[in-house]
Order: sequence, then C-alpha cells, then structure tokens
Amino acid sequence: MAASLGTPKLSSPTFQNLCKKCKFPIKPFSSFSHYNKPNHFGSFNSFSHPPTRSYCRRFTTRADSTNVAEPPRKYDFDLFTIGAGSGGVRASRFAANFGASVAVCELPFATVSSDSTGGVGGTCVLRGCVPKKLLVYASKYSHEFEESCGFGWNYAAEPEHDWSTLIANKNAEIQRLAGIYKNTLKNAGVALIEGRGKIVDPHTVDVDGKIYSAKNILISVGGRPFIPDIPGSEYAIDSDAALDLPSKPRKIAIVGGGYIAVEFAGIFNGLKSDVHVFIRQKKVLRGFDEEIRDFVGEQMLLRGIEFHTEESPQAIIKSSDGSLSLKTNKGTIDGFSHIMFATGRKPNTKNLGLETVGVKLTENGAIEVDEYSQTSVPSIWAVGDVTDRINLTPVALMEGGALAKTLFANKPTKPEYSAVPSAVFSQPPIAQVGLTEEQAIKEYGDVDVHTANFRPLKATLSGLPDRIFMKLIVCAKTNKVIGLHMCGEDSPEIIQGFAVAVKAGLTKADFDATVGIHPTAAEELVTMRTPTRKVRRTPSEGKTDSEIKSTAGV
Amino acid sequence: MARKMLIDGELDKPSEKDTHFDFDLFVIGAGSGGVRASRFSAQYGAKVGICELPFHPISTEVVGGVGGTCVIRGCVPKKILVYGASFGSELEDARSYGWELNERIDFNWKKLLHKKTEEIVRLNGIYKRLLANAGVKLFEGEGKVVGPNEVELIQLDGTKISYSAKHILIATGSRAQRPAIQGQELAITSDEALSLEELPKRAIVLGGGYIAVEFASIWCGMGATVDLFFRKELPLRGFDDEVRAVVARNLEGRGVNVHPRTTLTELVKTEDGIKVRTDHGEELLADVVLFATGRAPNTKRLNLEAVGVELDKNGAVKVDDYSRTNIPTIWAIGDVTDRMNLTPVALMEGTYFAKTVFGGQPSKPDYSNVPCAVFCIPPLSVVGLSEEQAIEQANGDVLVFTSTFNPMKNTISGRQEKTVMKLVVDGETDKVLGASMCGPDAAEIMQGIAVALKCGATKAQFDSTVGIHPSAAEEFVTMRSVTRRIAAGKPKTNL
Repeated sequence: MAASLGTPKLSSPTFQNLCKKCKFPIKPFSSFSHYNKPNHFGSFNSFSHPPTRSYCRRFTTRADSTNVAEPPRKYDFDLFTIGAGSGGVRASRFAANFGASVAVCELPFATVSSDSTGGVGGTCVLRGCVPKKLLVYASKYSHEFEESCGFGWNYAAEPEHDWSTLIANKNAEIQRLAGIYKNTLKNAGVALIEGRGKIVDPHTVDVDGKIYSAKNILISVGGRPFIPDIPGSEYAIDSDAALDLPSKPRKIAIVGGGYIAVEFAGIFNGLKSDVHVFIRQKKVLRGFDEEIRDFVGEQMLLRGIEFHTEESPQAIIKSSDGSLSLKTNKGTIDGFSHIMFATGRKPNTKNLGLETVGVKLTENGAIEVDEYSQTSVPSIWAVGDVTDRINLTPVALMEGGALAKTLFANKPTKPEYSAVPSAVFSQPPIAQVGLTEEQAIKEYGDVDVHTANFRPLKATLSGLPDRIFMKLIVCAKTNKVIGLHMCGEDSPEIIQGFAVAVKAGLTKADFDATVGIHPTAAEELVTMRTPTRKVRRTPSEGKTDSEIKSTAGV
Repeated sequence: MARKMLIDGELDKPSEKDTHFDFDLFVIGAGSGGVRASRFSAQYGAKVGICELPFHPISTEVVGGVGGTCVIRGCVPKKILVYGASFGSELEDARSYGWELNERIDFNWKKLLHKKTEEIVRLNGIYKRLLANAGVKLFEGEGKVVGPNEVELIQLDGTKISYSAKHILIATGSRAQRPAIQGQELAITSDEALSLEELPKRAIVLGGGYIAVEFASIWCGMGATVDLFFRKELPLRGFDDEVRAVVARNLEGRGVNVHPRTTLTELVKTEDGIKVRTDHGEELLADVVLFATGRAPNTKRLNLEAVGVELDKNGAVKVDDYSRTNIPTIWAIGDVTDRMNLTPVALMEGTYFAKTVFGGQPSKPDYSNVPCAVFCIPPLSVVGLSEEQAIEQANGDVLVFTSTFNPMKNTISGRQEKTVMKLVVDGETDKVLGASMCGPDAAEIMQGIAVALKCGATKAQFDSTVGIHPSAAEEFVTMRSVTRRIAAGKPKTNL
C-alpha cells in the first residue's frame, strides 16, 4: 500500500543523502522552494498538497522563522508521526487539514503485533475495539438463541459455531478498515511510510535506515499486551493472539480481572468454550464502582463462567497430550487447551531512540507529557496509550485533535479528561461516566446514591436470570450528577447520551424533568425518585439508611 | 395565584373533607395515568378510590383491566412482539458470524402469545398490588360521573353504588378506531392484533402512524407477507421527513410491501381470505387486515354531558394547563385528554395532578422536549424539533448535522441497512433543538440525549463529550461538520 503512495522514490538513497547533508534548503528564501521541493521527488506528488495550500503553509512557516534569531531551518515535514493508530492518524489528518505537511510511519500489517509488525489503524482497529466487538457480536448470539426460545423460536438442533468463518470474516473486515484508514490519510495529504520509526535527534526520524527531518515529531506508538515472566509463559497467549486463533479454545484459562479479561471471558463463554477466569483479587474490574464489580461478576457467573478468585498464576505446564495446566498459589488446574494472560498492557517505548534524545519516561515506561502532550523535548510530542493517561481510543482521538490544534491552528488546546465515559463489552456490558461511589464520597463527602436493580422486560419472557443494574451518584450540595454506572444490555449505547448531560454538569432535577421513553431500560435513569442511600460526612446533616427506606416505601 | 390559594386552603382543612366526602379523590380508569395519580395522591395523604373495568386483552366499553392500554394492549405486549420478531433477522445475521443454523427454524406464535398473556396478567397483578400498597381502594366496574362530586359505580353483578369525592379524575384513556370502509367489520384493530389465535401468513396494514409501522415490522419479522397502505408519501407524519424516508426504506428493505398514497376502499370475505380493494383498483388477499388509523378518547359512557364537562370535537376531555376540566372538581389526564398520547406523559400528568391538588404545589406538566420512540424494526427515536419544525420556529439560521453509517454489526452480517442520526442546531445560540435517529437501539440511545436537550445543551457541549467506542451512540458526539445550513429569513406563512 505504501508503495502505491509513491514512497519508493522518497526513500531513494539520493534523497536520504540530500536530507542528511542539507540541513538547510538549497534555496531557503525562494518563495517557491517548498512548493518546488516535492517536485524534485517526482512521485511525492501523489500525496502532496495542492500547490496553493502548500504554498500558503510555507509562507507562514517562513514568516514565523524570521522572528527567531537562529537561521530558519527547513524540514521535510512539519509533523512526523510515528505510529498510525487512532491517535496518530487523527493528529496527522487534522494537522494536514490545518495546512501542515505531514508524514506518518507505521509497521507492516499483522493481526498480532510485535516489534516489527503493526499496521495502519493500530490496536483499536486491528487487535482491540473493533475485532473484539465483532467477536462480542458473534458470541452474544448463543445468549440470543436461548432468549429466543422464550419468544417462541425453536431450533431442531443446537446451533453450532464455526470459528474459522468468524475469524475469516473478522480479518476481512479489519483489512477493509485498515484500507479505509490509509485512504483517509491519503485524502488528507499525509505521506504514509511503512517501516519502523526511530528518533535520531529532536527533529529527525529514521525509518528503517531512511532519514526524515521534521519540525515536530509525534510519538503515538500505543501499547502492547504484557505477559509476566513465569515458568511456561511461552505457552500463554495474549489478547492479540486470542483474536486470531486458528481454532476455538475448548477450555481456556484467562488470567486477569481487567476489562480485557472479562471481555474475552464473555466471548469464549458465548462461543461455548469452557471458561475459567483467574483473578488475584476477590472481584473483577478493580477501579470500577464496587457494586458494578459485584453485579457483573454475578451475571457472568450465571452465564457459566467459572471464577477462581485470589489466585495468582505461578507456572504453566505443558503435558504430553499437549494440554496445559495452570499452577497457582492455591493449586493446579489441568486440561486447558489455551491459557490467556490479560494482565495489563505496556507502552511501546522500547527501541524508539527516546533515551538518546532525552525524552523522559515514567517508571512504567510511558512517555511523560504535559497537558498539551508535549514531552521533555520541546519538538517531540506524544498522544494515546504510549502516554498511559486514559487508554481509550476516543481519548487518543481527543489528544490527537487537540495536538493538531495546538501545533497548527494557533489554538493551544488541552484535552479535557473530566467525565470521559467508557464501556466494558463484557456480557452483560458495562458503561460508566464520572466518579464511582467510592471516589465521589472521597471527593465530595455528602452524596446521594440512587440505584435500580431490575429484570428487564426481555428477561421476564426469556426466563433467563438477566438483570440490569443502574446507579446515579448525586452531589448532595449542588444536586449535580457526578457519576453514572450501568451494567446490563445496551449499557454502552445508553450511557453516551447521559455522558453529554454529565459533562454539561446537569443536576438530578434536570434528569427528573426529562420524560422517559417507554418501554426502554434507559428510562429508569430518569425515573429514579428516591435515593437508595444518602451518604453524609456529618451524620447530623443526613438521615440514616433506615429512615430513607421507610420514606421510600412507595 | 387564585388557584394556588384555593388548593392550599383545601389542604389546610383535612378534617372537613373527611366529613363531607367518601373520598378525597375518585379516579375513573386504572391505566398509567390513573394509577400514578392515585398512588401519588395517596402518598400526599389523600383518601383515594379508583375504578376499572374487568380485565380483558381486547378492550370494549365493558372490559379493560388495571394497567390500561400500556400494560395490557399497548407498549408492553407490543414490545414483547417486537422482541419476538427481531429474533428473525438476528438469526439471519448470526450465520455470517459463524453460527450453523438449520435452514428451517420454527417460530411458534402460540407459545409467544401465551407468554405475552402470562406477562400482562403478571403486570396487571403488580399494578393492583401497587395500588393496594399505596392504600388506594380499587373497585371493579364501570364508573360514571353523576355530579361534580359524585361517581356512580356499576359493579360486575349490575348493582350500582354511589361514592362522593372531593375531586374526580378521569383517566379512561382511548381505544382504537375503525374507519368507515365497506366491510370494516372484517378488519381488526391493534387490540386484536396483539391477541390473534394464529399468526397471519398474509397481513395487510392500513395506516401510516406508529402503530401501523410497528405491526408491519412485527409480522414481517415473524415471516408473514405484509402490505402496508397509507395516504401520505411517507409514513409517520409529524416526524422528521428525512427519518421518515429512512423508516420507509428500512421497511421495504426488510420485505414489507409499502404502498404510499394508497388507501383501502372495500373488504370482502372470500374462501381464500379477506379480499381487499384499494383506491388504485388493486385487489389483494389477506388473512388479517389491521386498521391502525387512529384512536379515540373513551368519553362516551362517562355521562360527562350530564355534568357539563366540555369535550373537544374529537371527543377528548378539554383541560387547562393543570389538567382541570371546566368543572373545578373534575380533572382529566392521559389519552382521554388527547394531548401527547404517551405513557410517560400520562405519568407526568398524573404526578403533576397529585402535586397540584394534594401536594400544595400547583405544577404544570412541561411538554417541551418529550422524547418518544417508534418500535418498528429497526426503531426510530426522536426528541425536540424535527428539521422542518426547527426551520419554522427558529429566528436565526438552522444548522443540520447528519450521520448515515453502516452499523458495525452489519459489516459482517452483510445486512444492507444504514443507521441515520441527525442533530438540528440553532445557529445563533448553538443550542441543540432536536435529535432523531433510526437504527438499532435508537430508543435506548435517545433517552440520555433527551436529558441533554431538556436542559438546553449546546452543540459545543455535545462535541466536548468523549465518545464510547465502539458504539453507535458515539456518532451523536462526533458530528464535526455541518451537513447543511438553512439560512434565516425563509418566508414564513403567517408573517
């Protein structure tokens, strides 16, 4: 794909040498120098800007540089982005839209990422959000088949699932999306370079031996799954591999209690593998609202997932019949066809040349950035998972968009991290926005908590034990809704609109003033009249739980 | 102000009313509005009686049931059938996701019908219990107004009892109507459609409203051949035109034969089913013909003329902003007033009635930004103004943002059906005036958007909200570029 964009010419040795040697343009003050320059490299045209836009941009650059004492330096690009995932593509496209000349480099496509493979689209498109959700869709059907029986549908034979059909269709889709991403880059006039980018100095990037200079460098290389080093860890798979297995696991151990672990537990359980989840703690999803953690755990259990709590993996043993055993602090469980580790992700900051240019990292290996995503080296910036702030695609998009504005639209813009909603595509799914009850109490002291735990209409007919849990956390002093949590069917779709309301700082009274849409699950969130509990820092101000319950006896 | 004092005065003299009336409030009709008003009034300390006709899935002048239209022959059973029908397309989609299903999957209508009846009977019981727990006295029988403070109850055995009440609330709802078409007695209404003995193989639906498109979707999803006839160019008059077109396209895409600008002129019974003639001279045969041509308020047998309660020309009870009729002691809420005929609106009216009359806080229901949904497959949901309404009402420019996309699920299932979303924004204030969506989960998605609109959220506030990825709903917060701007100063007819 990169070839069709005309990169071969770009990477010709002559060009490299030219770049290396000529720190300054040959005709620095010629008004046409930059417009002409791409023309020196023939095929560059295929992704160059229309002449007028290019010309305008250069004019601005030149005007800027006349104010600086140093002689103006010319760069191949205004922005060079390393990593064409969500954040990198967004920043590159937007920067180009603002008139910047932009290049982005990315590793060759592969479904499983490594030091030498990646692909345009990044984690989200190739081995995260998208394929994960496609597998969630696939796996949800088994639940729907069960539900449908309660609605009069009969199956002569139990539906069987063919893993290879799913994976082939999934791979066709992610390749299609990768193609779309490449096109959006191309249409925005961003040069796409295939290869591994490495920073040489604050304004220079080396891509597999070819050198490019840039006024600004953006690192958006994302993160990768991390498997702890225990004996036999080479037999374990991570989420990359789990999304592209040659065959469906018969019996799988999933180690970890985070969102990736619970999502894959749901996927494989729905596709009728025997699923065992091993978590170090008592509950899944540390950091989520405690009641949500309890609720989702119960619901997953009811759907047939087996939890092994407070168990830490110590070793994986491969037996002669090829099956795997997981040894934990509590014992050994045999007979797994697969053992998956969903034990966290680490920023991809190795071998990027960061140490040489002095870009500071945090102790987790993430790139340290300020509020504008600027690293300790002023010309180097970073967005997305590699900075380990909030590791979500839409947040990387926000960071990328803000950075483009900061650098190329004369509008220094800080990404805004308050009330960022998020979802876990477990089965049933979770979505939330704002604070957990625990955080809210810590931050505000006095909060009113409204909860609803009910059996949705669909479940009363299907006879399945599905329930929905909702929670609204209100600041007692201001009446503002400061947290909203839901676990149950359609949670992610439901919470998005409410996130607008929470972000806008709306009050419980505003929620109450909204008429419900009947019959939906979502209407419960605007019909919660009486607090389940009022938490008060100072007991004299509030009522006790028992008082509330008696008044709530509707 | 005068009203407030009157009501406050009433509250201040509880002992007096006890001595004068059997009840502080007597409610006729235990549907959504009536039950809500009764319970909330009772919680404010009022002594409340309520009457309702005996339970039956199909309503007439003499049968009904606690729970009313919503629970027994509206929202709830309808949604149950929509769920049932939705599985049909789900099963088709499942194949591309790797599921191996038999060619022939059997759908047993009788089983679904039985379970639906079980569920509405259960809900009927829950509603009765709610009333009992709130201390509301429930009477079974037909209620009639015999005086400004007197209700007559005809019990099941025919005996009559009279009760005096300080306030009377009429919450008798509405019923499906049949147009005067020759052979109309051969057709059914939505009541019967929810309780058919057999699933029709060939169904004809007359009407372009929400009930018509919902039943077209239901029967189509269950495998019937469906022909939908309506008078206008598009179904769902009153909704945003662009979204109406999407609904029509989706109905066709899923196999409904859509006949716009067509009505039925005659129904004839034949050996082969009901023969239907259209005004275009076509003839079709069907097992079932559904008239979904509107509903009329249940005011006929209430004896309202005798006490002088004014009705509008459609037979709806006329009320003021506080749901009070022209007789100060008689009030009315819900479909019988034909304001906005939705369950949650009846609930709102019931709540505000109780607040006004027994809570000492005169409160008017607010009808702005009331969201609603149509459960065709896929559903439609809206809140606020349509593009047409916004252009009509706005002073400045109107900005329209639309997003039409292939939902992620369809990328693998191969289903050719786009989801459409739309935001209508006031160009001057940046306020979002309206939101519409047609696509899976639209009704669930719109509820939160409705909270934002209710409180005057701006487009900038939508934009500042981070998306939930991957969801369909995230499109509502990522509509960056305006699709079209409709300039202010468009000629308006009444200037």
